[in-house]
Amino acid sequence: MKNNLKVLRAIKNISQEDLAKEIEVSRQTINAMEKGKYAPSTILALKLARFFEKTVNEIFTLEETD
Amino acid sequence: MKTHFLFPNKCKKIGWILFVPSLLLGSILFISGIDFGKYFKMKVFAFYSDQFLSESKFFTVIENGVLDEILIVLIMVGAILISFSKTKNEDEFISKIRYESLVWATYLNFILMIIATLVIYGFEYFNVLLANVFAMLLFFIIRFHFMIYKLNKSSNDEE
Repeated sequence: MKNNLKVLRAIKNISQEDLAKEIEVSRQTINAMEKGKYAPSTILALKLARFFEKTVNEIFTLEETD
Repeated sequence: MKTHFLFPNKCKKIGWILFVPSLLLGSILFISGIDFGKYFKMKVFAFYSDQFLSESKFFTVIENGVLDEILIVLIMVGAILISFSKTKNEDEFISKIRYESLVWATYLNFILMIIATLVIYGFEYFNVLLANVFAMLLFFIIRFHFMIYKLNKSSNDEE
């Protein structure tokens, strides 16, 4: 699964740390998601979507291998 | 995040305080070959007792040095608290690392146990079983904290 969290975060100009606080996860989680090392739960995906005012589909996209 | 079956974060510190001194003291005494039975002798209740050169008994009271029992319990309680207390920022990703580390530790533990079973014979096998009491949690603690450390490092390099 791919995501464009890094881009969205840059647009909003918010650090990993602050985003982590905002959606109540650890900074490692944000970091791992941006690197594509971690696929978040539905709840976390929805929280991110709410924060960035996007739909989940606009943030996360399936890859061939999924 | 709601977490099941985990202790609060402050229990982790208590765990370290119980675990490290008891493990060190236990290991030093064990390696030095001291007879644990000599220390803190007192009467204890025994559900089952099978002492050397005496017949086995159920539900009895025996005289026993309790130093080894105390150390073993402290090490186990300490290791459980370290392993299963929430981290400061426990979330779903940390839970995943926790789960993976637990699987990893279980595999490593039983691989070593299988090898030990096949190549260690006689009374030494008793020591293998003794080490096995703590080994799995020890492997878990090392692996879990190493993974968290690696993550912290890589996400610090980032920004």
